[in-house]
Amino acid sequence: MTASARFRTRPRVGLRARITISFALGALLLSLLLASTTLSITRDNLLTERESEAVTRTAENATAIKGTISAEDFDGAAQLGALRTPASPVLIVDTQTGTENYSLDTRLGADALDHSLQEAVELDGIAAKMRYEHDGSPLLAVGIPLPEQEASYFEITDLSEIESDLESLGITLIGAAAITTLAGAALGSWASRRALRPLSDISAAAEAIAQGRLETRLDSADDAELEPLVSSFNEMVSALEHRIRRDARFASDVSHELRSPLMTLSASVDVLNNRRDELPDEASQMALDLLVKDVERFNQLVEDLLEISRFDAGAHRLEQSPVNIIETVRAAVEASATDAVPVDYDPSLRDTVFLCDKRRVVRVLANFLDNAQKYAGGATRVTAERGPDQTILIAVEDAGAGVPDDEKERIFDRFSRGEMGGTRQADRGVGLGLALASEHAHLMGGRVWAEDRPNGECGARFVFEMPVHAPEAQDVPMEPIT
Amino acid sequence: MGTRILTVEDDERIRTAVKMALEDEGWDVDEAETGEDAIGSFQRNPSDVVLIDIMLPGMDGFEVCRSIRRASDVPIVMVTARADTHDVVAGLEAGADDYLTKPFAPKELSARIRALLRRARSGDPAVSHLSFGDLEIVPEEGMVLKEGEEVHLTKTEFRLLVELASSPGRVFSREVLLERVWGYGYFGDGRLVDVHIRRLRTKIEQDPANPRHVVTVRGLGYKLQT
Repeated sequence: MTASARFRTRPRVGLRARITISFALGALLLSLLLASTTLSITRDNLLTERESEAVTRTAENATAIKGTISAEDFDGAAQLGALRTPASPVLIVDTQTGTENYSLDTRLGADALDHSLQEAVELDGIAAKMRYEHDGSPLLAVGIPLPEQEASYFEITDLSEIESDLESLGITLIGAAAITTLAGAALGSWASRRALRPLSDISAAAEAIAQGRLETRLDSADDAELEPLVSSFNEMVSALEHRIRRDARFASDVSHELRSPLMTLSASVDVLNNRRDELPDEASQMALDLLVKDVERFNQLVEDLLEISRFDAGAHRLEQSPVNIIETVRAAVEASATDAVPVDYDPSLRDTVFLCDKRRVVRVLANFLDNAQKYAGGATRVTAERGPDQTILIAVEDAGAGVPDDEKERIFDRFSRGEMGGTRQADRGVGLGLALASEHAHLMGGRVWAEDRPNGECGARFVFEMPVHAPEAQDVPMEPIT
Repeated sequence: MGTRILTVEDDERIRTAVKMALEDEGWDVDEAETGEDAIGSFQRNPSDVVLIDIMLPGMDGFEVCRSIRRASDVPIVMVTARADTHDVVAGLEAGADDYLTKPFAPKELSARIRALLRRARSGDPAVSHLSFGDLEIVPEEGMVLKEGEEVHLTKTEFRLLVELASSPGRVFSREVLLERVWGYGYFGDGRLVDVHIRRLRTKIEQDPANPRHVVTVRGLGYKLQT
């Protein structure tokens, strides 16, 4: 088990989506079941009713027509026409020459009778009923044998009407099922949101904590089932907060403790260095030079550590004053860069004064310049211009190897030197400069980033975007800085 | 007799390191471990510059600073652990002329002390007798009179006033004053100017909360009202 063990997650479909889908599927299944049951019961009822009606009626009509068949002037069509029936009557009478068929409906005549039904009635002499399909129409035929008259009487009922009624009922039911499904999905979505609200509260809290608001806690839950989760979450955050503060304090304490021996070292090395020429041999002088250089580096490291631990402790405050950005940039470049670096700026900025924390602006710029010096052979150009939405962009360009895309964010991490900083060289820094630049920028409400030098030239461009406000300045000429 | 520097610091190693570095510059160094020692030592043998660590056992650095300031206008440098706390302003308000943040390089300390010594010893012949209402400045004698009575200013306060008086009515930015009075480059701490202006006002203004002589030009700096 590694220290970074993670709980198994299912990233494909979210929990809320899954709950919603389950509810929808459940509703669909249930409504389909209901619909099909309804449909089949309705169908059975309708058919049974129609059948019993047809059987009764056919029997009555058979009796009515029975007496007329033997008459001399028997006219089948007329007799059938006199019957009261909504169905299509068919009368089949045996004669010497064969059979005589009478019917009223050309479509539903004797041809429309099913043979097995006809045989059952004519040959076996039993009354029968049958449902079957003819020419694509569902039919119900009832046959009554009239043995004394050597005839059979049938009535054929077209059931298409029932089928179309059932069909429209079916469509209605499917519509209802669809609505039920949607309602199920809506219910599922609502229920899942309600059920997951504690989770989204936790996620919001976790996000706040990740952004550094370590004092964030969850409100205690009313729900007894959720209470253990809430309290263990809060305990975890407290433990985390304690640890983070302890770590930050540790870094700060260590740096503070380092200061005294460092000052002793510095002072001693300085005294020695003032007498460098009196040292007996070259080896001692070289040793002293090494010491001087590393004590200086050590000093810088402790200063940076102290500064960054103050950020961690949230002890930093902005000290805003009216500042001429161009003068500040120029002065910072003069103070930091070893060689002359051109400063290009938007002319409209030259006489403009903004309210900002000058020391921090200078720290960001100095760290950029220092970075260019250490990793890219020095800055080639510094620019200052207006950015979008009341911001100023200050950029340091170099002609070094550039920063690979996957390093562009990482180089602002603490002690990260990126690919190009992978090798530790004597005069290289300790990798806190860019992290500090980023912290300063954030405190001022701005940000920093690295990009490629424009126009496809090799090298990198480190940009500091700073929001600015104009102070309430009065129209009084300012003493030029000499 | 050479320049005497008194250093008040409870950490023996730092005290030794500072003493070593300052002696290397050719100055004489008196050491004091506590505030009480420092005040005793200063009374017996006044120094040219006093270096006070704020964090001292017993009497703290602010109190030592106030006590010495009551008796003398000797330049005082406060040593503080952090530049961004209230300590700096409190130290300056207690009467310090400048401050340093630990860890400081010995070279930086020597540079600060040299700047203070220069200020302490230079008269300013460039500006002659000036008067602004009830205020009179006599640079040759290093004297300021309010309603004809001498006002006691420290060397730094005096330099600041003379600087402003060199171009009455002109606005001086903090940067310019830092450079001309303290010898800092562009990146000095503006609070040095602000606190000294405040101290100066309590001495020369009738109503320091409503200054008539040294006025603030919002967003730009300070000027001496003609």
